[in-house]
This record gives sequence, structure tokens and C-alpha cells, in this order.
Amino acid sequence: MSASQSAVRSRAEAVKVSRTFDWLICFTLFFIILGGYHVHFMLTGGDWDFWTDWKDRRLWVTVLPIVGITFPAAVQAVLWYRYRLPFGAVLAVLGLLFGEWVNRYFNFWGWTYFPVNFVFPSQFVPGAIVLDVILMLSNSVQLTAVVGGLAYGLLFYPGNWPVIAPLHVPVEYNGMVMTLADLQGYHYVRTGTPEYIRMVEKGTLRTFGKDVAPVSAFFSGFVSIIIYFLWHFFGKWFGSTAFTQSS
Amino acid sequence: MAATTESVKADAAEAPLLNKRNLFLGISIYLVFYAWVRWYEGVFGWSAGLDSFAPEFETYWMNFLYIEFVLEVSTAGILWGYIWKSRDRKVMSITPREELRRHFTHWIWLCCYATAIYFGASYFTEQDGTWHQTIVRDTDFTPSHIIEFYLSYPIYIITGGASLLYAKTRLPTYQQGLSLQYLVSVVGPFMILPNVGLNEWGHTFWFMEELFVAPLHYGFVFFGWAALGALGVLNIECQAIAKLLKKDLA
Repeated sequence: MSASQSAVRSRAEAVKVSRTFDWLICFTLFFIILGGYHVHFMLTGGDWDFWTDWKDRRLWVTVLPIVGITFPAAVQAVLWYRYRLPFGAVLAVLGLLFGEWVNRYFNFWGWTYFPVNFVFPSQFVPGAIVLDVILMLSNSVQLTAVVGGLAYGLLFYPGNWPVIAPLHVPVEYNGMVMTLADLQGYHYVRTGTPEYIRMVEKGTLRTFGKDVAPVSAFFSGFVSIIIYFLWHFFGKWFGSTAFTQSS
Repeated sequence: MAATTESVKADAAEAPLLNKRNLFLGISIYLVFYAWVRWYEGVFGWSAGLDSFAPEFETYWMNFLYIEFVLEVSTAGILWGYIWKSRDRKVMSITPREELRRHFTHWIWLCCYATAIYFGASYFTEQDGTWHQTIVRDTDFTPSHIIEFYLSYPIYIITGGASLLYAKTRLPTYQQGLSLQYLVSVVGPFMILPNVGLNEWGHTFWFMEELFVAPLHYGFVFFGWAALGALGVLNIECQAIAKLLKKDLA
């Protein structure tokens, strides 16, 4: 191969080739990150994200930001520090939401017949936007981890509040007071539902006090800070261009 | 004059840098096939997939499993064998334009890999959640497993392997050894298959609740992280493409 030869015939063609690669890269990156993030998320926080009557529980507020900040941190470590693209977290989160929505619609509703308002996915976009904006403005891993990570945990509950609030309306059913979300869970029986999640919450998390959602959110934010640091370095490692030694 | 005419003719007849037909055909094959699979699940999941001891389960699901095993092994053998057999033995002497064309073809493979990994790791994996939390686990071979573990995972392993083999055998960029992250992103998903064995053994042995976040599933999570190896492949590709286009874009 001659170094003096051009791969393209004109500058215009070079620009076109570059743009075409951008589209191919966007498509590939979106779906590969989606796949990895989704399998990670559904197996570390998925059960609380599957059902609305579990979304009013404290473990939802606690666990989901902690396991959710992982891939955004890793993707940011490559897209920002290598390409100055300030949308790593949003890209990852939009991928996750796409995968979840498609599945909730075609499978939870379309195959096993749960109503969509019982199985819609949680909302992560506000936290992801804040994470990206802090990194873009500060260009600092430390600040993004500490401020962005805490914000990611704290914003999760209020970010979802507009969606789940109507399902928290109290109703009386057979003489008992419950939420609409609980009523849905009561009617749409999940034969394989593990019940001990609720027992764990009652046994331990309620010892914090009457309403522990803010406490859970702060705890989640603190752990998210640590997870952000950890996954930032994972991201850097996964972005390695190293080759094994050729024999 | 004659030489110029010949040159123009050669240019006009030259294959395009990006073969869009192959790109859309490749992605469409996955979409159409998986749409059919989803239709099959919808029809025969409920009618023949609830009890593995029923005769109709053998007809509609176990036979499906046996057929997919045969097709997967033969597809992997033929595809990987063809890519290796037809490798370019003078890969370091190709022209920059040919190298660019091959990078485009490589990205067609990566787009197919992305589509395959979406269906395997996202669509059919979470689908397994709704099936089990509704129907409860029967045996290792439930309708959702026959599609998820034994169809969609092998398909993205086969596609990823083909993509890596194409890069290794056709592109000068990958001649210096094996890209660590390319290996991670292809071998990681492969390691999900042994983890399927562990998972099914555990479920059979302990009769567990179908909690998706159970520690028994964490092996899948670990190997799912391997998808992030695509970031390393992206970096290698961007360096290679920038090298090819740098002076023309300056």
C-alpha cells in the first residue's frame, strides 16, 4: 500500500465517506450498548422495573440508580474523553429505554397480556441529561462523579413521580385501603412473583422512619458516586485499542 | 485518450465503497426472521408450550430446538469456514481505496452484529422474564429458552465471530495481532452459553423463585458487560479510517 495514494477521489467524497461512517457507527453503537446495558439492567434491577406495584417500594428508589449509572459512566469515558461528544449517558439511557419499551409492548403486553400501564419502564432521562451536562461543562470526572452521581440518585424518584403519581391514588377494595398500583398487582397475578422482596423492605428499610424515599434516594446517590468512578475506569479499559502479541 | 476512456469505464464499473444492498439485506434478514420467530412464539407458546411432558411440546418445541441446533452448527461451520478459506493472503499490499471499501464491509458486519445482539441480549432476554413470571419454569427447555438461549445467543455469537474473522483476514489494521476488545466483545457473549448450563443446573437443583435479579443470573450480567468491548473496536476503527482520510479531509 502506498502512503501517497488517496483512499478517496476528492475532498467531497472524503466528507461523504466520513458522514456515512458516522451513521454506521451510531447505529452499531446504539444497539450494542443497548444490548449490554439491557441485560445488565434487567438482571440487577429488573424486577423492580417490571411492575408498577413494585415501583412504589423503597428498593426501587435505592437500587435502580445504582445499577443504572454503570453504562452511562462507561460510555461517557469513551465518547467524551476521546471524541468530545457530550451525550454518552443519554445515548446509553435512550438505548435502554428503547429496548425496554419494545419488549414491554410486544412481550409483556403482546405475549403474556399485562396492561402496558402495569409494565412501563422507569424514567432515567433527567439524570442522564444532568450527568452529561455536568461532564460537558466541567470536563472533570471527579465533579461528574460526585455532583452528577449524587444528582443521578436524587433525580430518579422525582423524575418518575409524574408517571407513577396517578397509580399512587388510594382506593378501597374489599374493605382494605391500597394504591391503584397494588390493585393492579392484585388482579394481574404473576404466578412466579417472588414475595420476599416486600418482606425485606418491611423488615429493614422501614426502620428508617415513616417515609424513607428521600433517605433511600440520598443513599442511592452516594453509592452512585462510587459506581460512577468504578465504571468510568471500566469504560476506559473497554475502550482500549491494545492488541495481543502477534506470534 | 484510449487510456482515459478505459480509466473512466473502470471507475464507472467499480464496486461502490458501501454496498447498501448488502447492508439493508443483512439487517432485514434478522428482522424478518425474528418477526417470524415472534409469531411462532405467539401461536405455539400458549397452545403447545406450557407443559414439556405433553406430546405437542415435543412436536412444536423440542423439534424446533433440534432443528436450530443443526442449522446453527452448519451455519457457523460454513460461514466461518468460507471467510477463513477465502482470506486475502496479501492483505498488507491492498490499495487505500480497497482498504476503505473493506472497512465499509466490516461495518456492515458490525451493523448485523448490533442487530443480532439487540435481539439476543435485549428483546428475547427480557421476554424470558415475562414468560417465567407468568407461566413459571417448567424445564430447561421452555419456549422462551428455546428461542433465547439456544437460538438468539448462538446467532449473535456466529455473527460476532464472522465479523472478527472478516476484520482479521481482510483488513491491514488487524494484522498486528488480535484486538483485545474485539476478543472481549466476541468471546464474552460466547461465554454466556456455559453460563446457561450453570443457570439451568441451579434452577433445576434448587427450585428457585423466578426473581430476575437473583445471584444465579449474575454470570449473564458479567458476560453482558463484554458488549462494551465494542467501544475499543470503535476506537480502532476511527483511528484507521482517520488515517485513510486524514489528508483528504484536512
